[in-house]
Amino acid sequence: MELFLQTAIAGLLLGGVYALISIGLSLIFGVVRIINFAHGELVMLGMFATYWLWRGFGLDPYLSILIVAPLMFGVGVLIQRTVLQPILSSSAIMKIFATVGLSLVLQNLALYLWGGNYRSVRVAYSTATIKIGGAAVSVPRLVAFAVALVLVAMLFVVLKRTMLGSALRAVAEDRDTAALLGLGVSSLYLVTFGIGAALAGIAGALLMPFTSATPTIGVGYTLIAFVVVVLGGMGNTLGALLGGLLIGVVETLAGTYIDPQLPHVVVFGLFIVVLLIRPRGLFGLGRGTEEVGLR
Amino acid sequence: MKERPTSMDRRGFLRLAGLGATGLAVIDLAACTQDGSGDGGGGPLRIGALYPISGSLALLGEESWRGVEIALELRNQKGGVAGRKLEAVRADIPDVNAASSEARRLVTQENLGLLVGAYSSSLSLAASEVAARSGKTYFELGAIADDITNRGYQSVWRTNPPAKTFTEAQLEFVRDWVAPALKKEPAALKIAIAHEDSAYGSSVARTLEEQAKPMGFGTIVKVPYSAKANDLSAIVLNLKSIAADVVIAVSYAQDAVLLGRQAKENGLRIPVFIGTGGGHSLASFAEGLGPAADGVFNVDFTQFEVQRSFAPGLEDFLAEYRKRYSSEPRSGHSLANFMGANVVFDILEQTKGSTDPKEIARVAKALDVPEGKTATGWGVRFDDKNQNTRAKPFVTQWSGGKLKTVWPKEAAVMEPVLKAPFQA
Amino acid sequence: MTRFGKVGAGVFAVLVVLAVPYLGFSEFVLHNLVLIMLYVGLASAWNIPAYGGQLSLGHAAFFGLGAYASTLLFLHKDLSPWFGMLAAIGVALVAALLMSVPLLRLRGPFFTLATLAMVEVIHRLAIYLRSLTRGSEGLTIPFKTGWAYLSFTSRAPYYYLALGLATITVLASWLIRRSRLGYHLRAAAVDEEAVTALGVKLVRLQVAALLVSAALTSLFGVFFAQYVYVIDPDTVFSSTQFSIQPALAGIIGGMGTVAGPVIGAVLLTPLGELLRSSLSGSQQGLSFLIYGLVLIAVVRLLPGGIVSGARNVSGRLVRRRQSGQPASGPARSVGVGIGKEDA
Repeated sequence: MELFLQTAIAGLLLGGVYALISIGLSLIFGVVRIINFAHGELVMLGMFATYWLWRGFGLDPYLSILIVAPLMFGVGVLIQRTVLQPILSSSAIMKIFATVGLSLVLQNLALYLWGGNYRSVRVAYSTATIKIGGAAVSVPRLVAFAVALVLVAMLFVVLKRTMLGSALRAVAEDRDTAALLGLGVSSLYLVTFGIGAALAGIAGALLMPFTSATPTIGVGYTLIAFVVVVLGGMGNTLGALLGGLLIGVVETLAGTYIDPQLPHVVVFGLFIVVLLIRPRGLFGLGRGTEEVGLR
Repeated sequence: MKERPTSMDRRGFLRLAGLGATGLAVIDLAACTQDGSGDGGGGPLRIGALYPISGSLALLGEESWRGVEIALELRNQKGGVAGRKLEAVRADIPDVNAASSEARRLVTQENLGLLVGAYSSSLSLAASEVAARSGKTYFELGAIADDITNRGYQSVWRTNPPAKTFTEAQLEFVRDWVAPALKKEPAALKIAIAHEDSAYGSSVARTLEEQAKPMGFGTIVKVPYSAKANDLSAIVLNLKSIAADVVIAVSYAQDAVLLGRQAKENGLRIPVFIGTGGGHSLASFAEGLGPAADGVFNVDFTQFEVQRSFAPGLEDFLAEYRKRYSSEPRSGHSLANFMGANVVFDILEQTKGSTDPKEIARVAKALDVPEGKTATGWGVRFDDKNQNTRAKPFVTQWSGGKLKTVWPKEAAVMEPVLKAPFQA
Repeated sequence: MTRFGKVGAGVFAVLVVLAVPYLGFSEFVLHNLVLIMLYVGLASAWNIPAYGGQLSLGHAAFFGLGAYASTLLFLHKDLSPWFGMLAAIGVALVAALLMSVPLLRLRGPFFTLATLAMVEVIHRLAIYLRSLTRGSEGLTIPFKTGWAYLSFTSRAPYYYLALGLATITVLASWLIRRSRLGYHLRAAAVDEEAVTALGVKLVRLQVAALLVSAALTSLFGVFFAQYVYVIDPDTVFSSTQFSIQPALAGIIGGMGTVAGPVIGAVLLTPLGELLRSSLSGSQQGLSFLIYGLVLIAVVRLLPGGIVSGARNVSGRLVRRRQSGQPASGPARSVGVGIGKEDA
């Protein structure tokens, strides 16, 4: 029983970070209508930024979020402006390949600049644990989970309660009408991608105390983020949160109870099953299927 | 997209393909105007060196290459081999495809008769296949997969110890020191193998299982995991439930640290923890865990805290390394490749610079160097599979952030200590 | 050029291509040509589902399955790789059929993503099923030479084999493109509802395209095993080398055309090899960095790939020569293409 509790909690904590990563992706898809294959690389860049700040200035990873977040926001805006804006009117397929190309560029740029080694930060609390209900819970993972939840809640509030949020939802709903109504669609795209990138970067910073960074680590996160977003229902923030938590738990439980080598196989298996049975997402929160690219 | 009548496609294709092939041939010809001068004649004596200098294996691939480079430099300072200067033609082999390609290039384009390499077992297999099938000689200086010298190729040699000696050393150490220290019979010891699931980890785990039974050990449990996983708590919890006396780990850099950290987080107490080189030999392991790393045993190529009287030439190697690279060696791979390269040069000295496989075989088989006479403390004696049988890994233990040799006695600088790691 | 001239040029080109091994090139050059043929084939096979707008990034799965099927039979049952090829096709067909059940419910980027997930699963399973595949330690091809065993000491026979496989693949690609299957696929890439409204059983066609593509790709997996002599999961299921690189060649050359993947492969493959061997080690990741930049540039500037760019240029030349005639413009036949405007 202790094993189950420990595993489930560990999975939930991991899921919080997955949710954070996926929400950025979901937002970008919802508003800009682009599937960002390079999303995991944005997480990777956040991880490396955190590493270098720690290595160069001894900055604590959590504090470095104050720098990493705006930095990644800027990176996101830059990407949207230079790579994606010019091809917004291309076919969906071309857009996929643009972000695939972007993913290649970012991965290999990181490889070129920093080499392929794993980098980790070592802070005093790296291995600290606290007891929750008899299970040992890793402090850095708990912090990551808490911060992720706070950010998700904040995003929720922004989307529902602010002018910016309304504007974003309007563009997501119907781009052309929004433009007709005078909303600066291009600027909103920039902001959206910036926010998505910032969230990914923050996730990277949160991950650093207990994960090692390497240029190719992004691909795994991209795949997971997509599974989460599809499972949770496309374009839906709450769905992404629930989906993230679910995948975190499933992955960790699978690693413990089925086989340590197969957690991703199980996750993708679940993905396929859901696609076959409930393509709109497990929680029925997603958008209409045509928009989502499902039959 | 614009459309033309489809009949254009076929002609278009043929024309383009023909143009492409011809054009490319021209480019290729221009790019490779002359074939390499090979290694004959009176010029420098050229040998090929295939190592992953880029890609995910770059750190230790480059470290391995440095050993060869230093050996070459020092030998040239003493006049080279057979009166000729040595020259290494280095090729970067980040993956199996490249290993095959580059080996082919060195053999056919550069006309080299002898190649050395390669750090990684799968790269070594690919490169040596090319060399062997073309009738050229290949010396492996650092990769450990048993397969490398098990394929029956007469022109493939290996100077470093293979995987099965690692596991032999581990099991001997457990039988001869750990069991008495824990006051248990070998057959009563519970042993778990936590290993990453690539070629490295799987082959070691498999060999351990095979060797353990005849040596009188009881149950061995295998716990495989993916080195790329970012969460090993499942493994740790599994090990907790197994409650092993001895855990033998086979890990790369990141997972070695991660496993240690999560063991500490989850309060996993292991009386004796033995690494199998890889991540457990790296400075980054101690960096990542601090005092929690102390007590971890490790079986690997010769490390630098070793009896100097048993490893003549080690000091010269270290001096040259520090001078050239302004740092300490990052692992024992450079030393192992240094020793192996020297063996190759010694052989070439006796063949008077000839890379004819039969000449090399004649000289190599006759070599008889006792242990404790080379920079790694290994001897040289090739068996009928061209494997050096006098190369054995030593057991070291992390102590105060350093890897100290504790076993065998001739090489040890410290007595082994019974200390459960990952507790501090 | 007269029609006779065109045919003559074509024949000459074919003869040159066939005579290459005897034109005195080094083994290394031949090796590069073999690699080019490999990627010509992979890119062309990849292109077949791409006609229908289905971009797979999971073709490494079929490649690897082919390599393993043939090698396992060679090792355990002493079956010649010729039979191995049949087995590879069989395994690939089964895999593609099973995959298409969930996969074909997805469109566009989700199809692509799901293919990425698929190959990851198969890769992991290949490592996990150690008793079958020897896991990550990989398998070594037995050293038996000759045409019966598809293993040779010189490059020339490999060249012809690769050339043969590539030719078959390009031919298949061409035949499909000009058939009804191809026509409907390409129409579906533009407007799926219209095509299904016409009563076309689109899903079956898409499955057919995937099956053919998978089978052809698996043959190259067999070839690769026989060429490199060792296979292991990380190599033969490598997304970078056998999913992305052929796709890149196809897109940069011109997706949806027959010549596109050929041109893309001919240009990209030597570039990659050259980058790696000339920059030996000092620059990690440079070739793929360049690929990525080229890909973005192509999407931005030349979405139809090099082929459409070349056609633009040659079209302009043709119109100039036929001066006096009104520029006939692009829509000489039903303008079906891959691109689709977003709503």
